[in-house]
Amino acid sequence: MRLASTVSLAAAMLLVASAGQADPAAGEKLFTGKNCNGCHYTQGPAQEKTIDDQLAKKGPELWYAGSKFQKAWLKGWLADPKPIRPLKYNSLTEKNPGNHPKLSAADAGAVTDYLMTLTTPEVKKGAAGKGKKLKGKLVFMKKMPCKGCHQYPKRKKVLGGLSGPSLVGASKRLNPDWIYAYMMKPKVFKPVKMMPVFTGILNEVDVKNVTTFIGKFK
Amino acid sequence: MPRITIVSALLLVFGLAAAGSAQAVDVEKTFKFYCAQCHGLDGKGKGPNVTKDFATTPRNFTDPKEMNKLTDGDIKTAIKDGGPAVSKSELMPPWGKTLTDEEIDALVGYIRKLCQCKGKQG
Ligand code: HEC
Ligand code: HEC
Ligand code: HEC
Repeated sequence: MRLASTVSLAAAMLLVASAGQADPAAGEKLFTGKNCNGCHYTQGPAQEKTIDDQLAKKGPELWYAGSKFQKAWLKGWLADPKPIRPLKYNSLTEKNPGNHPKLSAADAGAVTDYLMTLTTPEVKKGAAGKGKKLKGKLVFMKKMPCKGCHQYPKRKKVLGGLSGPSLVGASKRLNPDWIYAYMMKPKVFKPVKMMPVFTGILNEVDVKNVTTFIGKFK
Repeated sequence: MPRITIVSALLLVFGLAAAGSAQAVDVEKTFKFYCAQCHGLDGKGKGPNVTKDFATTPRNFTDPKEMNKLTDGDIKTAIKDGGPAVSKSELMPPWGKTLTDEEIDALVGYIRKLCQCKGKQG
């Protein structure tokens, strides 16, 4: 009796441990098996050199996914994807059809474990620091055109432009250190994009402030 | 001899036309990629970003009355340094760190073609 319960306790513990274990290799297999790489490239550095290169892509690059996304968000989104970009990828005229491939919860977990291994040293932990939220708001809302292209939350409403990814929910979706690196080193992440380059226009402090502001979007 | 001249003249004309259209295609691509999101693919100021809470209507480039108020220099400054540099809305972004001087000059030319106007001289 005593022995049996010890054994089953040990077995239960083993089960729990293996369920919680990351398995990036299985996730990578699923990623290729489900043809995710037909639309997303996972090998850095950035490959786009011209407007045509960018327009030829069928989905956003994922080679720095582990530095960009928050793990819990990624897992949830892969199992239940909701539109992030209001417009269809690389289109100015069509709405996002909201038909992204969906994964089972288990597959989403494995693929997340794989995608979270795709990191880049260009994103430094803690780099975003603590900016001033109200100064960041001034940059986003008054000094710069950010709101012209990005949706953002205001109380219960969603306002803003449609050509960029929605920033609603950025507090759960994006890693602030990645936002900071993305703004400071645009050529590393996005050599060709519809968003203007702000380095030399916004300084380090401005970027920290605006990162802090975006980093609180619910 | 005269035949050769004609042929080479034709070649020259075709060559220029081809060079001209290659240039035009490029600036059109630049405009559609960076500017159309607000100014619209046709330049009329109705791109997809212009939703009901977009505070200032982007300039309609096909309106010669509005566009004649600007010199080429005004247009260039607006593109390079953004709306506030010409006392206009901050919703017009600064493109000086994104586009080269040549690309910006080509865009000024493209916008002049859209308005079919020369603008204020000066
Ligand atoms: C037919 C092309 C296509 C396929 C196949 C595809 N995706 Fe996507 N993916 C997209 C597009 C387009 C977006 C942008 C969606 C949006 O903004 O709502 C996207 C977005 C994403 C994002 C968020 C990226 C970001 O920067 O916002 C992740 C993560 C992702 N896909 C993972 C996957 C995985 C995992 C698979 C395989 C199960 C997959 N995708 C299959 C086209 C594709
Ligand atoms: C002219 C339109 C435009 C303006 C103005 C603009 N953006 Fe963007 N932004 C975009 C587009 C388009 C992307 C997506 C680029 C891509 O992935 O190809 C983007 C991407 C981003 C991202 C990454 C989002 C993601 O999920 O990948 C952040 C963060 C961001 N912008 C912040 C800002 C801030 C801060 C400002 C103002 C200082 C700003 N943007 C101004 C169009 C714009
Ligand atoms: C985020 C939206 C947005 C984008 C993208 C954008 N513009 Fe604008 N643009 C505006 C707005 C809004 C105005 C009107 C400003 C005002 O009247 O206060 C404007 C005005 C202008 C003007 C007139 C300035 C003046 O003095 O009246 C020019 C020229 C111009 N834009 C060129 C461009 C070019 C070229 C591009 C692409 C490289 C571009 N814009 C991209 C929003 C945008």
